[in-house]
Amino acid sequence: MTVLSDTWSVAWRELIKFFRARVRLVVTLIQPVIWLAFMGNMMRGMTNNPMMAQTLGTNNYLAFMTPGIILMTVLFGGVFGGVSIVWDRRIGYLEKLLAAPIGRGAIPFGKMLAVMLQGGIQVVAIIILAALLGVRFATGLPGIFLIIIIAMLFSAILSGISLSLSASIKTMETLMAIVNFLTLPLMFASNALFPIAVMPGWLAAIARINPVTYAVQPIRELVIHSWNWGSILPGLAITAGLAVLSMLLSQAIFQRATTE
Amino acid sequence: MSNAISAIEVYNLTKIYRGGIVAVDDISFSVERGEIFGLLGPNGAGKSTTIKVLIGLLRPTQGRLLLKGIDIIKSPREIKQLTGYAAQETAIDDRLTCLENIYLQGRFYHLSRREIVERSRGVLEMFDLYERRGDLADTFSGGMLKRLDIAEALIHRPQILFLDEPTLGLDVQTRKAIWEYIERLREEQGMTIFLTTHYMEEADALCDRVAIIDHGQIKALDRPENLKTQIGGDIIIARFVTPNGQASHALESIKELPQVRRIEPQRDGTYRIVVGQEGDKLIPEIFVLCERDGISIESVSLKKPSLDDVYLHFTGREIREEEGSREDHVKARIMRGRSRRR
Repeated sequence: MTVLSDTWSVAWRELIKFFRARVRLVVTLIQPVIWLAFMGNMMRGMTNNPMMAQTLGTNNYLAFMTPGIILMTVLFGGVFGGVSIVWDRRIGYLEKLLAAPIGRGAIPFGKMLAVMLQGGIQVVAIIILAALLGVRFATGLPGIFLIIIIAMLFSAILSGISLSLSASIKTMETLMAIVNFLTLPLMFASNALFPIAVMPGWLAAIARINPVTYAVQPIRELVIHSWNWGSILPGLAITAGLAVLSMLLSQAIFQRATTE
Repeated sequence: MSNAISAIEVYNLTKIYRGGIVAVDDISFSVERGEIFGLLGPNGAGKSTTIKVLIGLLRPTQGRLLLKGIDIIKSPREIKQLTGYAAQETAIDDRLTCLENIYLQGRFYHLSRREIVERSRGVLEMFDLYERRGDLADTFSGGMLKRLDIAEALIHRPQILFLDEPTLGLDVQTRKAIWEYIERLREEQGMTIFLTTHYMEEADALCDRVAIIDHGQIKALDRPENLKTQIGGDIIIARFVTPNGQASHALESIKELPQVRRIEPQRDGTYRIVVGQEGDKLIPEIFVLCERDGISIESVSLKKPSLDDVYLHFTGREIREEEGSREDHVKARIMRGRSRRR
């Protein structure tokens, strides 16, 4: 039980700071608005083409794109999850945590939990906005609930990777460079914004092994179609599996990096 | 637990880092309950490493370590609950308030919400921070941050407090204030305090006993006053008026005085007369001897040894490279290795 309360204490600190940094809070909430409003508007014409509407599975590009924006937002939030560890190491707070009688796992797990909850909050904001812009969520509130869960699991994958990297990275600049190197390819070599069917073969091949694709699939099913478990379950299982793997990996790497 | 158990017992502690750097080399010492113990040494001597091993942040490569009779390796959690630690760098989250910082620290030591609320007031009042409890740590001065850092280390009521360079980079007022806090902790709560410093006057004013550590080894360990007498008590510095080198005769007689240990001529023409103790009582005798030999004394001064002298005596005058992180050391080694191969 103490591991849980320790994890919560670590997360609590991050969340207080998340809500306290007003500018950051506003920007994190506005960012998806811009994506949705602009990109959605820009691409609206696409669905006038019936062939395209067929490929997308809906004649509302915004509905197609909303899952992509949800994942993009938690992706950006997640990859920066490691920043706080690098920062804590710099200011000596990490040492203070390590000197306390808390489980070592509580440190990466707490950071991860904070990133997941922040992601969840952003996702709720996106869903509200999308609904205002006319997206009808086919599976209703229960579907929306599952969407938030999937997005948070995806956030766990990314923050786990970020935390693993930051366990051994000493400077913010290096972490930022690696993170930037990862995010854009992850996003664009996936079905988040464009259907795989319209991609050139090589890109489609990458998209098919991209975890983003697997997380988008069930969300899109829930937004556009119905409770078709055959289409939801595989993506959900892979995302959840990767999330657990990422958690264990970051815990192990963190443990190793902080034992001397 | 009986009173016979020491607060800290260290037997043959060695710490070798992964890069092969020997930070602490087979040291043994013990600290009694309620003692203020100082670890003194130049940069990179192994002070911080010793503390970090004692509080369980680093694993000892070798050695047996007991805090209040409890083995550090066998019961790390128990040890952590028993000890408080304020690192060399103050580790305060400046985007949290003073109270939030201390609240979190309490949570990390598994105190209940109520316990934290009850205790934080006392601790913050002691360090004169209670009035500012609701302010963001961002608005605190360096001295306030340091005080908060030490206050945090006390929230779980540790029995042994470890302070790594508690007054580094602070102004004289704050430094004196922190000395007072430390003394109060010992007096009021009987706390054992283990601190590192490279300020001699700090060790002298505060510590019951001092260990001088250099190159990972303890060079001397005793009460500050004993250390001072050990390296040769008082020093009389005298300048004689010597028209034709006649001083030698008088010097011979001075040297024969029982208290005089040795006489060292200095480059500037003065003589350092090293005496065991009570150099002030010897000065009149020196005057008498000189008068008898017809030599006059131009100036004379008495120097009581400081802990500085003790320190330099045991560690030498060579300047140390700044203490860097272990990573820096390893990196430096790798770079050196590369350039050699080239």
